[in-house]
Amino acid sequence: MANFNIDAAKERTFQAIVIGSGMSGSWAAKELCEHGVKTLVIERGRDVKHLRDYPTTNMLPYEFEHRGQLTNQIQEENPVVSRCYAFREDAMHFFVKDKEHPYVQEKPFDWIRGYQVGGKSLLWARQVQRWSDFDFEGPARDGFAVDWPIRYSEIAPWYSHVEKFAGVSGNKDGLPHLPDGEFLPGFELNIVEKYFQEQLKKHYGNSRHMILARCAHITGNLEFYQQQGRAKCQSRNLCQRGCPFGGYFSANASTLPWAERTGNMTLRTDAVVHSILYDEQKGKATGVRIVDANTKQTEEYFADVIFVNAAALNTNLILLNSTSNRFPNGLGNDNGLLGKYIAFHNYRAGISAEYEGYSEYTTSGGRPTSGYFPRFRNLYKQETDFLRGYAAGFSAGRYNYADQSGIGMALKEELLNPSQYGNWSVGSHMMGETIPKETNYVTLSKDEKDAWGIPLLKVNVEYDDNDEKMIKDYQEQMTEMFERAGFTNIRVRDDKRAPGLDIHEMGGVRMGKDPKTSLLNKNHQLHTCQNVYVTDGACMTSTSTQNPSLTYMAFAVRAAHHAMKNLK
Amino acid sequence: MHRREALKNLAILTGGAVLVPSCNFEQDDILAAYKNLKVTESQRALLSQVADTIIPPGEIKGASDLAVQDFILVMVNDCVEAERQALFTSGLQAFKGYSRKIAGTFATLEAVEKEKVIVQGLAISHDSTDETEKAIRAFLSLTKRFTIQGYMMSEYIMTQVKPYSLIPGEYNGAVLISSISNLKING
Repeated sequence: MANFNIDAAKERTFQAIVIGSGMSGSWAAKELCEHGVKTLVIERGRDVKHLRDYPTTNMLPYEFEHRGQLTNQIQEENPVVSRCYAFREDAMHFFVKDKEHPYVQEKPFDWIRGYQVGGKSLLWARQVQRWSDFDFEGPARDGFAVDWPIRYSEIAPWYSHVEKFAGVSGNKDGLPHLPDGEFLPGFELNIVEKYFQEQLKKHYGNSRHMILARCAHITGNLEFYQQQGRAKCQSRNLCQRGCPFGGYFSANASTLPWAERTGNMTLRTDAVVHSILYDEQKGKATGVRIVDANTKQTEEYFADVIFVNAAALNTNLILLNSTSNRFPNGLGNDNGLLGKYIAFHNYRAGISAEYEGYSEYTTSGGRPTSGYFPRFRNLYKQETDFLRGYAAGFSAGRYNYADQSGIGMALKEELLNPSQYGNWSVGSHMMGETIPKETNYVTLSKDEKDAWGIPLLKVNVEYDDNDEKMIKDYQEQMTEMFERAGFTNIRVRDDKRAPGLDIHEMGGVRMGKDPKTSLLNKNHQLHTCQNVYVTDGACMTSTSTQNPSLTYMAFAVRAAHHAMKNLK
Repeated sequence: MHRREALKNLAILTGGAVLVPSCNFEQDDILAAYKNLKVTESQRALLSQVADTIIPPGEIKGASDLAVQDFILVMVNDCVEAERQALFTSGLQAFKGYSRKIAGTFATLEAVEKEKVIVQGLAISHDSTDETEKAIRAFLSLTKRFTIQGYMMSEYIMTQVKPYSLIPGEYNGAVLISSISNLKING
């Protein structure tokens, strides 16, 4: 932009730029703005204002033309995103449609994206389990990836910081491998889930646990959350539409309005980041080049510090596309490892069964969470023929339904007065740790570009033998636990889903101690361009088994405070 | 719709003496709203009779009172795969003849007879290789499924009969079924 006049350049200069307004970027923005840092938040999608832009939030089931179902046409046009459980008639508008934003699948990869203010924080499953040193020490102990440059004690205070502000409901469970946090009252496990808890204790002593999953929902301390304009979770379970109560944490309901209120945040929507600008004389990044999503005009913005929170794979894309004489292969990429060591969570396997006990009981009301198995495999020592292990969801439910076999008045009567109670149904799904490998990577297409002139991302990620063994073990172990608990009609599954559908893709810009084998240092700065911070999923050295968002948020806050020390 | 009503009323007034041959109806235009189906106004009327047989009117409204036939057509048109759509359409076309063959003209049958026709059609074996039988079965099973869904998820049922709440209340994980006092809703 040669003809930039000085005033325009001033208007485009901030102290900090945050790329991405979602789960992690909104936290960086909140912390920076709260502490007086003039911050530009760049979002590639449209604005989504809390309440105003939740068009379906209070719609009743009969107000949806297809009662929630996807039409053939939408499924045919969007084979990838249609596989996502939350892509339904009520929340379709918050997902990227396949055709709008193509990418290259060198191997099958379902890339699920939310291009709007708030990103996927509107759509997430709101599970927030902490990591422990059993996770941070994993790569060093088991000899894969590289050692994490941080440990739990360094991140714990930031977990607390995030949990208090976001609102996390849960129980103190006293497990060393799933540390307790700052919890609001927990939801209730039902009678069969509690029974299963006892059965685990009986058959496995203290070695396997099923607890109430911690979730980012407000259940107490209501006056505190009123300051954010948020209220108690009403258990609507319609979270993916955007919550009119702000009952769960989203950037839109919480961190972004908070940042905005300081007067220090400027939000630039509809701005597709092309690259980060690098100044060779200064030896640092100076700004960000964007392409306006609508006009396709290029603009540049400048700042002393840049946070890259574009969501894991797009953060990789931006850095790979940020080339200069100094960094011909992408910003900070001296070792050629940028884009490599991508990993994810293995969600392929599940199990379902029935329980004939407690037949006189059912449940009522709603609950936005379920049960959770923290990892028990290879926890204290290596004990199987595969590395690491899996966490798992667990839930039980009982449903009143109508016998629909009849016709006429008898059917009508039965539909209006459903007589049937089946057995309790119980089920679980796995969340397996995958081992980051150099052969799982993303690169930029050399010849294909998107509508904004940015190279398409090529994804080359697949399962390996370790994952296959883990699926088998999950199925065997869960079957054994279900059998011992007296569950019947046990059925295991492997849905063979492609990587990506877990929506837990991580890595490519991993943290580490050594600039030769990692991209980021322990403060989330690029080793070789230290005013650029990466605190979203791209920074992950390993994946462990917890839903990762809480860790990204804590990382973003910690890194923002580090950056502010340097700014002052 | 008005024309159908008018003819029906005329038929009632004259004690059924005015029996309009069905082929007159089938010359009706194909309904443009359902691009993937070739359905005429008279077939839509027949569909509403089938839906009404599945969930009849009474003190509480029945399927066609809630225009469930339109919901069925929307769902088949938009959400059912092409192969089943084709079966639905040919099943709907063949249904009049099927009914005539096994019981009589569907529109003039007593409720019990209408039910029998549908039950028999739904019971057609999955092994049947007869194209018409396959289509009749597919048509009826899709119609039954969407009649139930369209009826139960209608504004009327969800507000006046079994009110639905966006806020389901606090979770209780151990409710004795015997403690739930369900008022019997009479169909």
